[in-house]
Amino acid sequence: MSSMLFALSLFVVGPEPAASAETTAAPQETPATPETETASEVTSEVTSGATPTETEPDPVAAPEPVSEPTEAQVDSATPVDPDAPQLRVVDEKSGPPYYDEADVAALRNRYELPDEQPLARKPVRWRCLISDPTCGMTIELNATAAYAFRAQQGDVSRGNVRKWSSGRAQYDLWLNLPTLTEQVRNVRYTKMTLGPKGGVVFSDTGQFWGNLGIAMRYWLGRGRFAPSIEMSSALAFKLGGRPTRNLAGAEPKFETQRGPVGFTADVGFGIGGFGALVVGGQYDSPLAREDVPEQFRTSASGMFFIGFRGNILWGAPAGAAVLTHGLTQRLVEQPNN
Amino acid sequence: MTFPLTLLLLCTAPSEAGADKVAPATSTEEYGPFFEDAPASDARFQSRGRKDKYPVLSVGDGWFCFVEDSHCKASLLASGEVAAGMRIPASNKGPDLPYAHWGFRGGFAIRPLMLKRKPWHPWGVGIVSSWSRGTGAVTVESTTDAQEQASTDRTDTFRVALLNQLWLSKKPHAIHLDLALGTARSQVLTSGVALFGTHAEAAVGWGGWGSVYAGADFLDRDTRVMLGFRAHGIAAGPTIAAILLGLALGGAL
Repeated sequence: MSSMLFALSLFVVGPEPAASAETTAAPQETPATPETETASEVTSEVTSGATPTETEPDPVAAPEPVSEPTEAQVDSATPVDPDAPQLRVVDEKSGPPYYDEADVAALRNRYELPDEQPLARKPVRWRCLISDPTCGMTIELNATAAYAFRAQQGDVSRGNVRKWSSGRAQYDLWLNLPTLTEQVRNVRYTKMTLGPKGGVVFSDTGQFWGNLGIAMRYWLGRGRFAPSIEMSSALAFKLGGRPTRNLAGAEPKFETQRGPVGFTADVGFGIGGFGALVVGGQYDSPLAREDVPEQFRTSASGMFFIGFRGNILWGAPAGAAVLTHGLTQRLVEQPNN
Repeated sequence: MTFPLTLLLLCTAPSEAGADKVAPATSTEEYGPFFEDAPASDARFQSRGRKDKYPVLSVGDGWFCFVEDSHCKASLLASGEVAAGMRIPASNKGPDLPYAHWGFRGGFAIRPLMLKRKPWHPWGVGIVSSWSRGTGAVTVESTTDAQEQASTDRTDTFRVALLNQLWLSKKPHAIHLDLALGTARSQVLTSGVALFGTHAEAAVGWGGWGSVYAGADFLDRDTRVMLGFRAHGIAAGPTIAAILLGLALGGAL
């Protein structure tokens, strides 16, 4: 009876000292031999997993629940079936992140997610003085060279309208504020910009206007040469003129010209921030109030124009605008009636 | 053995967070949501106009800037402007007529409280002077016998004003509100006599690059109100050069 009890107690107590011996052996062995060659692959991974942990409670707590099934596998002494799924504990890393690019790729593959986004574009040159979707706020100086079809109210009693072909050169400063942006991972792209603009407009016989308004650009892509739709509108006001010596027949003199505020608007289709094909119009209000003496009255006039507007930094738009300004000034003559 | 180690862990972790909370606020630190820097965001534009908070054309990391900005302690102001509005003479002098002008403005602005005391303060003060050439005046004076009309070809105005600025943000090209009060000297209507009057202006600007302004000149029986756009000289300079080139090409010079 006592011997049976003793045998029973051995049976009960037996595995525990073996388990505790195993656990005490594991931390003791790892400082001496970090790569222990044991029969079971699992136990070696458990010990290597226990090695990097520096806090003492973990080696005591972690191997305990793991060591029992590993012991069961070792004690079963059955040959490993190559067709069965191999359960293995992944190597624990010392710190975050606990996954690498291979794991992310496996996750994407499992859930059929698209591949990673392409790398973001390099920053553009010119410090965003040429507009780009990768820029936030931009400041740009634009020059426009356009063909203009002008018209002006003639003699009201006869219902005349004077029409003539002319040119238009315009210089604007645009302040583009990013009002609509989109974000791809941690890269922000501008979708739409809106902001104030101001500038001057030149046409034939030395007439020139100032303008003050707003400009909008909507990007249709994110590339360097992404197409864009541009719209701008402004109040236009006559400033003055300096007629050409040839046409005026006298020494050219700068004259101020008075006119109520009119408006100008245009729509453009652009490529990158470099340039745009522009179509627009301008209307100048008449000054014809009764209290204004007749000699100081001005009649209504306007123009439609089609041309090219671009950033002056790359040269061609400025050259085109200067050429248009010069040719218009020199060659275009307004009809008399 | 484990207990002292766990106790060490428990002691170290919270005290690091506590260290931030108990740091005393110095006199130079601003406390308040209005003047706080915007929280850093991971998302950013790939291309940036400049690398840090000081503008490109600045000397001594913001001590003097050629294009004024939010973190500039002293700035040079130079701009070209165009404006349109109305000339409103006294009622018996003639009709209200449109008025437009183009001109140049230059000046100097400093942020006094940023010179020694604070790293950033919204208030700026300066002095500006400007010259403009605008449309001429028309006077129509009627008596029972006759009507006298007179006109001038142009109106030149010279102004000097004290400028007050309020910067609304610390970001690059921040919006700022400007208020200028000063004197203007110009020919009054068609009298041919230049007199002194008052000039007042309120403006909204984006950094030093451009601003939209509303201003008025109050002279004797001659008031001009205008709304205009101002561009920095670095942008206006090439424009003026191109304009002069076009005029020369067109035979107007």
